[in-house]
Amino acid sequence: MIIETRGLRKYYWLGREKVAALDGVNLGVEAGEFVSIVGPSGSGKSTLLNVLGCLDAPTGGAVFLDGEQVDYKNKRSLVALRRKVVGFVFQTFNLLPTLNAVENVVYPMIFNTREKKKGEGRGKRKGEGRSESRSEGRSESRSESRSERRAKARRLLERVGLGSRVEHLPSELSGGEQQRIAVARALANDPKIILADEPTGNLDSRTGAKILELLKRLNDEEGKTVVMVTHDLESAKRTGKVVEILDGRISDGRLDGRLQ
Amino acid sequence: MKDLFALACRQLGRKKLRVFLIVLGIAIGVAAVIGVTSLGEGIRVQAVEQIKASHDLTTVAVSAGVEQGTGSVTLITDSKLKAIEAEKHVLFVAPFVKDAFVTQNNTYLAVTGVSPDYRRVQGHGLELAEGRWFDKGEGEGSNEVVLGYGVAKRLALVEGLEVGDEFAVKIRLYDEYGGGTGGEGQGQEGQGWGGHPKDKPAVFKIVGRLKSSADEHDNQVFVAIARAKELDEKEAYDGVFVKVDDPAFAGSVRARVEGLGLSAHSAQDVIDEVNRLMLAVTVVLGFFSGISLVVGALMVVNTMIISVYERTKEIGLSKALGASDSDILKMFLAECVIIGVLGGILGDLLGLCFAWLIDAVGKPFLVSALGGGGGAGGGGELGLGAGLQAGSITAVTPEILAVGFAFSLVLSVVSGLYPARRAARLNPLDALRQI
Ligand SMILES: Nc1ncnc2c1ncn2[C@@H]1O[C@H](COP(=O)(O)OP(=O)(O)O)[C@@H](O)[C@H]1O
Ligand SMILES: [Mg+2]
Repeated sequence: MIIETRGLRKYYWLGREKVAALDGVNLGVEAGEFVSIVGPSGSGKSTLLNVLGCLDAPTGGAVFLDGEQVDYKNKRSLVALRRKVVGFVFQTFNLLPTLNAVENVVYPMIFNTREKKKGEGRGKRKGEGRSESRSEGRSESRSESRSERRAKARRLLERVGLGSRVEHLPSELSGGEQQRIAVARALANDPKIILADEPTGNLDSRTGAKILELLKRLNDEEGKTVVMVTHDLESAKRTGKVVEILDGRISDGRLDGRLQ
Repeated sequence: MKDLFALACRQLGRKKLRVFLIVLGIAIGVAAVIGVTSLGEGIRVQAVEQIKASHDLTTVAVSAGVEQGTGSVTLITDSKLKAIEAEKHVLFVAPFVKDAFVTQNNTYLAVTGVSPDYRRVQGHGLELAEGRWFDKGEGEGSNEVVLGYGVAKRLALVEGLEVGDEFAVKIRLYDEYGGGTGGEGQGQEGQGWGGHPKDKPAVFKIVGRLKSSADEHDNQVFVAIARAKELDEKEAYDGVFVKVDDPAFAGSVRARVEGLGLSAHSAQDVIDEVNRLMLAVTVVLGFFSGISLVVGALMVVNTMIISVYERTKEIGLSKALGASDSDILKMFLAECVIIGVLGGILGDLLGLCFAWLIDAVGKPFLVSALGGGGGAGGGGELGLGAGLQAGSITAVTPEILAVGFAFSLVLSVVSGLYPARRAARLNPLDALRQI
């Protein structure tokens, strides 16, 4: 399993009142799966995704990403996971308005190449030889020059179907096009997992369907593991597996009938 | 790194006016510091030039050494003189003896016993207005004297003595201890030491008088040194001028003379003094003009804090995309570096303009205040006023520009540290949720 959670809990306190955004979530996602998470608003979908994406620390329970337990107290390892293992796609695109399409895709690569030079290689040197050579092979492909990074960004944009308008600013592009850039950006550092929080929520249904197609293609053709939050059952039906969350818990089987 | 700076340039390009205003604010502070410092430096250079022009930097003045603490005196004996003469880079030594005569009418005369070399050292000051120097060379024991400008005037007025006249004097002698220099303190010294002063009579002939040298030589009566020593019954010299072949070696010669237990001075002492003074003045002025830099720094702090607020969401996004705390810190500091560099460049340019302005506007004022243009002695002893007219009163050196630049850079980076830290510590999710 590439993603596994055990008894995952996340509590918020509003004054004296405890809000359990996640209340014991056990989730398993196999590598190469396309999982959609559905559930009513406020049921804890975003919270789950943020915890999986290492943006938020859980109150309790354990998360395993790519076989290793996530240490939410270790800032360095969280940063490393955000850089290499997961790629985020947001509902509101969240592109940098001053950067054009290519530059937006290059943006996360900047952090990645820089980290490689310093701490990372050193830290793994102590580990066993095999994993070291693997990580080195990976970092080699990442020690890219500026022009290489731009070229890679262009390739990614082409892959998401935005080959022509790569020098445009986000404000000059439609919502669908912006979300395509965001998907390309999520792919920038070759993550194994793509986490998408209502990626179609701000798009009309036709454009949204196209984004879903895009994610499916990445899942099919490149084996990316995709976890997508959506409140649209029609979209969810087209993914490999549907997980419903209710009040911070995975509700088993209730939706099955409707999905079939 | 390069990417960070490229990014920072973009971010700054987004708010050109704001950046321009901070840069200008810092630059004005830098320019003020540069202007003031260059003024101090300019005046210092002028003063030093004046000293160099009016003082002989190749001469070291040696006098008897007094040991600190014990108070034991090292006299300039003939053997010391030989030792000095033997030093490297010493061209010649010109010893002298100080003495006092009293005329029959009780006029005190300050007397200097000099060798021919003495005039080579002090050449410009000792020009004959009338008559000649001593017969048979100054080394001989002739009873001939040459009068300094002032003394000649006084003797002519009070005693009616002219060149060619002879006059009788008493030479007051004390036992051993080096008295008999000035005329003033004699009464007291006579009582204190070694019993009775004895007065030795002598007759001198005036063979020449000097033009004014505008220094202490105007009040001296010059006698051949051998004669002076003989009359005085002294073994040691009162002082020696040591002529060095090159100003560069004046310091080392001086040090070696001091190594002999004697004390030594050169014009370099005056220059050092001026340098110290001007440094102190410049530092104080620079400090106060530097206060304007504080304003610039506060502007940077303010702007960067606002920038962190405005970009909270962007910071959260960057972190979600893999930026570490230090990446964010560096991103903001890179902007500060750019601001600092721009401020430094503009500040240096404005500083040059400012220095030029001080020169153009301030110089006439300074020159008139120092009374320049009057020729000799115009600006006091150093003739500063006269010198200022020739040169510039501000001197912008590369060092000053470099310091100004460094100020700007360090200031903006330091000012940016706090806001950048704040940005770096933002929680990604909280930041992302901001609108
Ligand atoms: N920062 C927060 N502070 C307090 N409560 C929060 C916070 N974030 C989420 N919650 C609460 O946690 C629950 C789950 O929220 P969320 O995961 O955003 O739901 P969903 O994405 O499924 O709509 C909600 O009740 C929400 O109010
Ligand atoms: Mg949500």
